[in-house]
Amino acid sequence: MKVKIKKPTGGQVAIAILLLVLGILMSMQIKSVRQSNELKNLEKARAIELAEQINKLREENVGLRQQIYDYEKKIKEYQDSAASISKTTELLKEELDKVKILAGLTDVEGPGIIITLDDSKMPTQPNVDPNSFLLHDSDILQVINELRAAGAEAIAINDQRLVSTTEIRCAGPTISINNTRYSAPYIIKAIGDPKILKNSLEMRGGIIDLLKEFSIEVKIEEASKVVIPRYTGSLRFNYAKIRSEGS
Amino acid sequence: MIVLVIALLVGILIGLFIPISIPQDYSSYVAVGLLAALDSIFGALKSNLKGDFKIDIFISGFVGNTLIAMLLAYMGDMLGIPLYQAAVVAFGVRIFQNFGEMRRSILIKNKSFSKEEKNQ
Repeated sequence: MKVKIKKPTGGQVAIAILLLVLGILMSMQIKSVRQSNELKNLEKARAIELAEQINKLREENVGLRQQIYDYEKKIKEYQDSAASISKTTELLKEELDKVKILAGLTDVEGPGIIITLDDSKMPTQPNVDPNSFLLHDSDILQVINELRAAGAEAIAINDQRLVSTTEIRCAGPTISINNTRYSAPYIIKAIGDPKILKNSLEMRGGIIDLLKEFSIEVKIEEASKVVIPRYTGSLRFNYAKIRSEGS
Repeated sequence: MIVLVIALLVGILIGLFIPISIPQDYSSYVAVGLLAALDSIFGALKSNLKGDFKIDIFISGFVGNTLIAMLLAYMGDMLGIPLYQAAVVAFGVRIFQNFGEMRRSILIKNKSFSKEEKNQ
């Protein structure tokens, strides 16, 4: 093939200039696209790193919890040996056990009921607020209130022991109990006279009636042995001090 | 032809070594503008080959196409519709069409040349 080198025509010069501009723009664009990709990768790497950190902390948490259990076991041993010294220490020990149940600092078991609450399974209908078919913190609070009124001695929701500082709070789609978030279903365990507890809940016009109206799923079981775990958080009183007599 | 390739390479080199990159927000506009420029270049190459190249048509087409493409992209951003895709499709199709015509005319020319050579 014969290739003649011709003098570039005016058109070719124009195209050449445009190609020059195109080249500049193109490489600049490629650079900026590459930069943005790098940025995205960086963000991804950061997310992975944070997830790893969370996992590590969780493992650490489990270890620390185990340590707490070990220490508590030791304390209990000391208390038991101290109780056998004299009548006074024995009485003190009994008092301590009672206070521990009251404060929710020990695992307890006894007859009671297990209530399972779940969101309505009904398909959502138009013109009906779907919120009313979901369980809310207020519903749970009413159930707990009813149980307390009926003489429940220990209550736990999803194995979170209710103590004096426990909150039952709406946290978006979940409910926060003891600063731990749970979503439906909620399993409420209560120790007390099973018959009385059940009857108080199933009172006509009572809370269960109300919940059933919104077709929220409620299941109540009587049990001869309900195990309720202790409160695992820390109890710290910075402001409340015991008032000394006469001051 | 060699001049054109050199021009493109020089452009790319300049772009690589300039310490400026396009801001993220304008990235999509530049991309559409690039496509418009590419389309104009293919169009110009084709008409150059056919011999009916006119510089005013070339420049007005380049400027106009780029502006409209960027305007479309901007409007798409405002309206929440990926309108820049219209420019992408239109320019894409035209690039292929122009390339096809160039290919055909080059091939036909070469064939007729070789026939003439044979005849001589």
